[in-house]
Amino acid sequence: MVEKKYQPALDIFDKMLHGKLKTHLNSCVHCGLCGESCLYYLTHKEDKYIPGKKVDLISAIYRRYYTLLGKTVPKWVGAKDLNDETVAEMVDLIYGACTMCGRCSMHCSIGVDIAFLVRAGRSMLVEINKVVPGLQSTVDAALNTGNNMGIPRDELIDTIEWIAEDLEMELDDEKATIPLDKKGAKVLYTLNPREPKFFPLSISAAAKIFYAAGEDWTLSPDAYDVTNYCYFSGDDKGGAVITQRLVDKVAELGCETLVLAECGHGFRGNRWEGPNYINKSYPFNEISIVELIVEYIREGRIKLDPAKNTKKVTIHDPCNMVREGGVIEEQRFILKQAVSDFVEMTPHGVNNFCCGGGGGQLAMSEYAERRIKVGKIKADQIRATGAEIVVTPCHNCIDQLMELNKEYKLNVEIKTIGEIVADAIVI
Amino acid sequence: MGTIVLDGKEFEVDGDGFLTSPEIWNEETASLVAKEDGTGELNEKHWAVINCIREYWLEKDMAPMVRIICKTTGIRLKELYELFPMGPAKGACKIAGLPKPDGCV
Repeated sequence: MVEKKYQPALDIFDKMLHGKLKTHLNSCVHCGLCGESCLYYLTHKEDKYIPGKKVDLISAIYRRYYTLLGKTVPKWVGAKDLNDETVAEMVDLIYGACTMCGRCSMHCSIGVDIAFLVRAGRSMLVEINKVVPGLQSTVDAALNTGNNMGIPRDELIDTIEWIAEDLEMELDDEKATIPLDKKGAKVLYTLNPREPKFFPLSISAAAKIFYAAGEDWTLSPDAYDVTNYCYFSGDDKGGAVITQRLVDKVAELGCETLVLAECGHGFRGNRWEGPNYINKSYPFNEISIVELIVEYIREGRIKLDPAKNTKKVTIHDPCNMVREGGVIEEQRFILKQAVSDFVEMTPHGVNNFCCGGGGGQLAMSEYAERRIKVGKIKADQIRATGAEIVVTPCHNCIDQLMELNKEYKLNVEIKTIGEIVADAIVI
Repeated sequence: MGTIVLDGKEFEVDGDGFLTSPEIWNEETASLVAKEDGTGELNEKHWAVINCIREYWLEKDMAPMVRIICKTTGIRLKELYELFPMGPAKGACKIAGLPKPDGCV
């Protein structure tokens, strides 16, 4: 029997225990290959950080409550009770020492989806109110206010108008606007709330690209947040509430395509996880702005001049968009046309290292020290390229890269894809 | 959770270096945080930003939008990013003694 307070964790586990979860929980052969692929193990060299060990935390509980030997002779089969000790260990390692980057799953000798298991562990912790407070606070802000920074509606509108005025002046054309809630617009665009709150230059860059491409687009002050921190916390119910907001807004405005802002988990959360949260496929197209920019270039709707970006540029691949999301070559296609000196990191693409800020780490001050420490791998990768600019299609990665830039004295500029494209655009 | 030492007194900060008790903030804690995060010596413009953020927060219990910072202080966006290399959140808000904002910062 489990303590009453922990029963909800087993209840949700029971609900989740379908074929995939059972198979992956029972398949690890402890070869240890995942260790060498993980930021945390490579940095700390302590066994507890090996991804397979994180899987063990959950499989030990599975064995304890679902197998005959685990029920009768738990110690013989490494089965463990769900108790204060195992819960504390799960919180520390499953929230505090994993960015859910999925690199371990890529390297697993038998294909165990370790990041999927980690999220299942997080879902158990959600049910017993053990989400790390920093992360839960961002989830709560999103659920309670409609965006993960609690931006009031009127302040969002004021900011959008402010950016639009500047853009109109820059382009000297009153048609260079940011249309709000335009019914029947082809594209509904989204934002990471961090953009209007603190870093709005990426919004004006996107608006400039839409203007140059002659796009019929709109933003809604009531549903624009591309993030879904419930993906990180493990909360599918909250995830459904957040997903539904954008789905409803697309229907209300009658848009054709929902375009996701540059946000790694926002891409994954909406594009791949969202339909599972709401248990329904989307009746509209959904793509990243990175994919849309590729379309614009291919169709000749925008022209880029690489001579406008002459500094050496490298790209950081956000795990949730690249390894976990399938947008791999698009950003490279764009950069090859937008900059004159492009260099890859080693490794890159689907084998790229996480920046260390994924999995909700950026929201968890509780583990900030670890986050900066594991980020050294990314910092070393960047330094080795000799690049002066690091581009990445993810605002979360950008914030982590800004910190790594300071901590490891990289002396680089950090930009979104949209910003570097806007700099290269010929109007 | 860590601590910063000021005038021989220890103050608690969270893992990101934000004061855990924002009410203990004063000009000295601001200068100390600025020195630690690479902002350096605080000039008049820095103080205009810090005071704007601080006053807004005391009144509304949240950090102001960057538009409000620019409008109140007359400082342009690009200059604001130069003044605070860690940005408005992990730079200016932290120096102004606010708790860490939610979201991707």
